[in-house]
Amino acid sequence: MVLKREIYKEFENIVGANNISDDEALLDSYRYPLMHTAIHLGPYYRVYTPRGEAVLLPGSAEEVQAIVKLCNKHKVRVKASSTFWSAWGYPMEDNTIQLDMRRMNRILEIDEKNMFAVVEPHVIGATLQAEAMKHGLNTHIHGPGASCSCLASATALNGLGPDTAYLGHHSENMIGAEWVMPDGEMVRVGSVGSGLGWFYSEGPGPSLKGLIRGMVGSMGSMGVFTKCAIKLHPWPGPAPFPTDGRPPAYKAVLPDNLKSYTLGFPDWEAWADSCYLIWEAGIGYVAHRQFNMFGRDLKGAMVRILSDPTKTLGDIVELLKDPEVQKMTEDMKRDYQIVLAGMTPRDIEWQEKVLDRILEKTGGWKVEGMLEPNLHDWSLLYMLRLGHKNLNLVYGGGYDGCFGIGGTPDFATTGEYPRVEQATDFKKEWEKKGNIVAAGGDGMMGGIGGMGGGGMTLWENFTHFDPHDKASTEGTYEFFNATSEYGKQKGWGPGMEKMNDYARWTDGRTTPKEIRNKILSAGGQPEALRYQRKFYETFNPNDLGDSYYRTLD
Amino acid sequence: MALEDYLPDMERCSQCSYCKWIPFDQVKSWRFADGCPSIAYNNFLSYSARGRFAVALSLLNKQSTYTDRVVDIIYKCTTCGSCDVSDKICRYNLEPLEMIQELKIRAVEDGQVLPAHTAVIEHLKKENNMMMTPAVERGDWAKGLDVKIIPVEKAEVLFHAGCNYSYDKDLQATARTALTILKNAGVDVGIMGNEELCCGGRAYDTGYKEEFTRLAEKNIKAWKAAGVKTIVTPCADGYHTIMRLYPRLGVNFEVYHTVQYFDRLIKEGKIKLSKSVPMRVTYHDPCHLGRRGEPYIPWEGKEKKVKGQVIVYEPRKPRYNGAWGVYEPPRDILKSIPGIELVEMERIKEYAWCCGAGGGTREAYPDFSNWTATERIEEAKATGAEALVTACPWCERNFIDAVNSTGADIKVMDITDLIKQAI
Repeated sequence: MVLKREIYKEFENIVGANNISDDEALLDSYRYPLMHTAIHLGPYYRVYTPRGEAVLLPGSAEEVQAIVKLCNKHKVRVKASSTFWSAWGYPMEDNTIQLDMRRMNRILEIDEKNMFAVVEPHVIGATLQAEAMKHGLNTHIHGPGASCSCLASATALNGLGPDTAYLGHHSENMIGAEWVMPDGEMVRVGSVGSGLGWFYSEGPGPSLKGLIRGMVGSMGSMGVFTKCAIKLHPWPGPAPFPTDGRPPAYKAVLPDNLKSYTLGFPDWEAWADSCYLIWEAGIGYVAHRQFNMFGRDLKGAMVRILSDPTKTLGDIVELLKDPEVQKMTEDMKRDYQIVLAGMTPRDIEWQEKVLDRILEKTGGWKVEGMLEPNLHDWSLLYMLRLGHKNLNLVYGGGYDGCFGIGGTPDFATTGEYPRVEQATDFKKEWEKKGNIVAAGGDGMMGGIGGMGGGGMTLWENFTHFDPHDKASTEGTYEFFNATSEYGKQKGWGPGMEKMNDYARWTDGRTTPKEIRNKILSAGGQPEALRYQRKFYETFNPNDLGDSYYRTLD
Repeated sequence: MALEDYLPDMERCSQCSYCKWIPFDQVKSWRFADGCPSIAYNNFLSYSARGRFAVALSLLNKQSTYTDRVVDIIYKCTTCGSCDVSDKICRYNLEPLEMIQELKIRAVEDGQVLPAHTAVIEHLKKENNMMMTPAVERGDWAKGLDVKIIPVEKAEVLFHAGCNYSYDKDLQATARTALTILKNAGVDVGIMGNEELCCGGRAYDTGYKEEFTRLAEKNIKAWKAAGVKTIVTPCADGYHTIMRLYPRLGVNFEVYHTVQYFDRLIKEGKIKLSKSVPMRVTYHDPCHLGRRGEPYIPWEGKEKKVKGQVIVYEPRKPRYNGAWGVYEPPRDILKSIPGIELVEMERIKEYAWCCGAGGGTREAYPDFSNWTATERIEEAKATGAEALVTACPWCERNFIDAVNSTGADIKVMDITDLIKQAI
């Protein structure tokens, strides 16, 4: 489909001729390849999201508002995205225009005293962090990493990440938003809505935080967010990072109040106990099972490759034979990374002592290989900036997380045959078929603290494949189907590999209604989704969003 | 390699957008975080490496055809290689720069060319230079210098001035200075005068592979006939072309950029920098000397998989990601000049912002090219430097033009001119 010329012209009048296009090839660069699984569905070999009718680059909230009003007038769907990290941000159906928010990229304010920043959609974690650090502050960077929009994760998703226990997740950090509603009206959420400035998302003023997010977020299907305020947190280090080294093995030699450790544990129970203890003590600036995304058997070798600019993936087989690497890999079998940040010399001294006591109590250890200065400085920068998050794609180009184990730390780790080991054994069998990377079954990666203060862990078992390879892509899909079936048999429920099946289907378009209803009914809190349906109908009267916003008839 | 050979890369690109930015570990501010000038100026995703992968795939799959917009997307890229560095932070095996070069080459083969490029290339075919000036004037820059003319006379080192230094009246003095410094340091050096030809590198980066090959073969033949083994050039483009592209044609000359040669001569005590040059300067890494200036490593092999789906190469494939570019010699020179205070910009070395002159953009998209240079000028000014120093005539020319058009209060200099002041 092509927009009627007169409608195109009306859009052009809003954004200017340089900021709109319906060129076919250009539109094809706004389609997501679903052989990449698109977090979390598929992978579907050589299937793409539908081509939009046009791409627009709005430059202001007023332009966004005018566009959305015009969409309502002509009944054209609208999908906004800022950093386009996954299929969430792309059209679901024909008759959709794509808004690319990259021209709205300013940090409007950093309020040092009140510790927040006001940002536009295309501000990313890396730039906000760099600017915040100049004020002795830091921002939470959510799981997809420093490349992604802060606003998108704060307004349209939950935005969890490795530093969540200390720096919160972005839906907690959001203290106000400017929202162009699906009908084109604009509302400012929270205290800013009463003209009182950005300090609290629940008022005084319209408190719509729950409504705009729903259960997990609207993912671009309920209007367009044009600004938001994000709470910042203390940063007791230098600005900018004193980054050194050759690419990609950058590292940062930071002051002694900042330390990075990889902790290993003798069994999963000890692992879980340590999580409770660090939360209880309130230590840890970043805590995440990060490098395990490369897989239990390969992570030691991968850490060596990534921290040495002379090495490539081609060294992996040789490195796996290295006794030192083998020892480190074994030491890291049940592990996570933790960064300690002391606000004062006494604070770091105390945190170090507490960590040592926790390790003593649980029988855990600091993985010796990771204490080597080069690796320490590399790991510290990696964890603080999250500038390498897409290394999950390094092996073959594709990845997705399956199983998805969320809950208290011992939820997956206790018992005679812990759930994490069952999932590992299951995946290991599938790795033998050759369609996914043989990484040792356990690619469980995720946060040690899924909410501010800790309280839960959330893992997904990373699975790596080659999206260019039909057998690998289809084999991965089969594996994910089997994973879901296994989870069902075990009573674990559907895993993360099917998280977005309710919205987008195998052809890259909207999931058929009967399937969608079945999936959402089987999930948690169906009544909440029925309630969300009412929200959707009220706020999106012309149905110009899409099915990522979870609703149930 | 043909465009089709990059189909795996097109499908393996996960659209993470790293290609738009400098490596995130190096981001020091909001203002200077962009890496790719093309997406920063044009905004649509299609103007990034990830977008060009998608556009190329769309064309190969015949989902779309050439349009004015597509041609614009293809050519409005400086081929600076910033995307290549950032991509390889996380995606070791993607080759966005090579793919973009092949996309341009394919467009030229398909007759999808820009008039501004056609004019330059037609002239290049006739007069063997990129400067729209007659071949017979090529050696004029060296008039009055007592220098050997190869092949009439023999010399250990060939000084290849390059098109820009040969013809640009504002810059010729730098070439004369460089040659004089070499001679005074005792180097047995000669030039080819009117017989010097364009290296062909800029034609290659614009998509004119055939013209590149013609010039490369002519140069190789002439240099071989003259017994040339060592080449020194003050042009970063020329350095890259001779070092990285000529070996693909089966030849290997020992090639140095003047900064490497000068640095060596300074360290050997053959150039003495004794006069103080009190100046606060910042250094711009030319793309072709920096991230694209890594040593060439011959490789022929194929992809294979280990551990099921881990992609590796047999034999081990070199990875060009800017790690081993020419970064320290120019900095060492500046540090060795008494009185010079070197202050670094935010984006340096492998993640330096481009000057905007490459890939045919200066010729076809002067506004974009000028904007890119102006961005760099702004970054240089933010350091408080009095002068922006570089080591490439194309960068220098573009910066001078940007300074003239914006009235920016900063000098633009070649490092050679600072050496001259210090001798």
